[in-house]
Amino acid sequence: MTTSTSSQAVQQGVRVAKARKTLLGHVPISSPFYKFHPVTRLIMFVFFGVIPLFIFVPEVNFALLLINLMLMRWGRVNLRGLRIYMPIIFTVAIFMFTVVILAPGNDPSYTPLQAGPITIYYQPVFFTFAAYWRLIAMLFGTILYFSTNRERDMLVALRTLRLPFIASYVIGLSIRSAGMFMEDFRTIREAEQARGLDTKAMRFSDQVKLYMMYLIPLFSIALRRADEISNALFARGYTLTGRVGRGGKRQDYIRSLYKIRSRDIIAIAAMALIFAATGYVQMRYGTFAIEHSPLNIWLRGQLGIPF
Amino acid sequence: MSYAVTITDLEWKYEHRKNFALKKVNLQIEENTFLGIVGANEHGKTSLVSAISGLIPHSYNGIYRGKVEVFGQVVQEMDALELATQVGLVFADPESQFTAMTVEEELVFGLENMGFELHEIRERLEWAAEITMIQDLLDKSPYDISGGQKQRVAIACVLAMNPPIIIMDEPTSMIDPLGKRLIFDILRKLKEAGDHTLIVIEHNVEQLAPLADQMLLVYEGNVDKIAPPREFFTDADYLNARGVVTPESTEFVQWLKAEAHVPPETPLPITLEEGIEITQQALKSRRQM
Repeated sequence: MTTSTSSQAVQQGVRVAKARKTLLGHVPISSPFYKFHPVTRLIMFVFFGVIPLFIFVPEVNFALLLINLMLMRWGRVNLRGLRIYMPIIFTVAIFMFTVVILAPGNDPSYTPLQAGPITIYYQPVFFTFAAYWRLIAMLFGTILYFSTNRERDMLVALRTLRLPFIASYVIGLSIRSAGMFMEDFRTIREAEQARGLDTKAMRFSDQVKLYMMYLIPLFSIALRRADEISNALFARGYTLTGRVGRGGKRQDYIRSLYKIRSRDIIAIAAMALIFAATGYVQMRYGTFAIEHSPLNIWLRGQLGIPF
Repeated sequence: MSYAVTITDLEWKYEHRKNFALKKVNLQIEENTFLGIVGANEHGKTSLVSAISGLIPHSYNGIYRGKVEVFGQVVQEMDALELATQVGLVFADPESQFTAMTVEEELVFGLENMGFELHEIRERLEWAAEITMIQDLLDKSPYDISGGQKQRVAIACVLAMNPPIIIMDEPTSMIDPLGKRLIFDILRKLKEAGDHTLIVIEHNVEQLAPLADQMLLVYEGNVDKIAPPREFFTDADYLNARGVVTPESTEFVQWLKAEAHVPPETPLPITLEEGIEITQQALKSRRQM
């Protein structure tokens, strides 16, 4: 739908879909990302997923997080939908900092700091802080990818990178089964709620037991589905050997719909260049080492902790 | 006369089951005809079409005796690819047939297996999408559309492969009345084109009978009755006793005959229109008396 017809529809009170449901979430109906070939988008995913591994300066990883958010905004991703990731972001933080405060390790070079009744050690806490932002930067890179790519895009990208058809098909079926598993889980829960089961009123231990009991129907459904998929593949002439009719080569119609254009080559080259430069300066000069963090330098200055 | 399917003394028992699902089935299906299959649940209808499509014995374990031939080739000796080029099967639950992420991928999967070139794939995709009216669904996920749309996608997947034999196992069982009508419209178009042997299992005899050249009753694993529709529905009590409901118009005219309101030689209707016409004639002759 063009912008004008879209706005007309809005004026007429018609709801226009802005997002398309996928098995793993939602992607925008239209996005500037779609102008890029799926393989470029997959490389971007790898880029944002791997580059934080070279960077141990939390400020830079925080900047990467902001870049991811800006790219999401540019890509018309519904940023409000990111709220669903808040629990995981806070849970990871709580877990990591609890562990490092309660079990900081035993190193005489650590600087103890008294925070009320508990003693914390500066070095492991700041290390955890840096690691946390690295993790969050990687997480948002992943969210960006799955918020702008459908399962189909992932498979096209993998096949463009010469992954054998059977392997990409297995990945596709796995993604599908993950989505179906969640759907089945929701259906079972709704069926129980419809029959009056109130999980909120249950004790935690009973809830755990209930979740364990869900596994029985879920696995039996999964087994039945596996059987059905096997029959469907047979009925459509798929052979395990990958033999194709007419003795020819298997064509890839969906992949043929996508073309690698100059913008893809520029984007891939730019990412490769940044990646190589980052890796080089880090390995050669340690530019992104934790010691170069401005926050680390400032805190050590304030607390009188030498490097 | 050439036969698309020839079944000789077929017996089949699923693994871990006590009884045979199919018992000494003998059947010949003429090429480019429409066979409607009816029967109560658990009497062997799906097993019969699974044997024709090759799922039995290739995908199930059990005891298999006898022979099923498709255009003279023995099904047991054919592999998945050979069978798919000859027989297309639309499952009762369309979702169980889907293996891809978009409707478009779903449609081209079989064509890629069959080794078609890209331009042929495009042509067949467009043709199948047009005939089943799913052009606007191609970009969607097959799990994110309505039941009727899913069923049409499942039919399009088989049509795109254009096998000479198309089997549909209860294609309207999970959809609304409008969706059912669309499916029967597709079947009508296919029958009129006359290029396929159509085998359709369906409980909706009102819609099935007018399209079928032959009706077949499967009862307790046997081919209990096979005849052209008018002849098939002559004994409503017999069919009812075997779990098959006759078309209401047929049943009504049978009652008119029994009550001597219409002459005994009046042919039985199989469509509502025919039933109305016979009733009008009966009323007219009554007024003239």
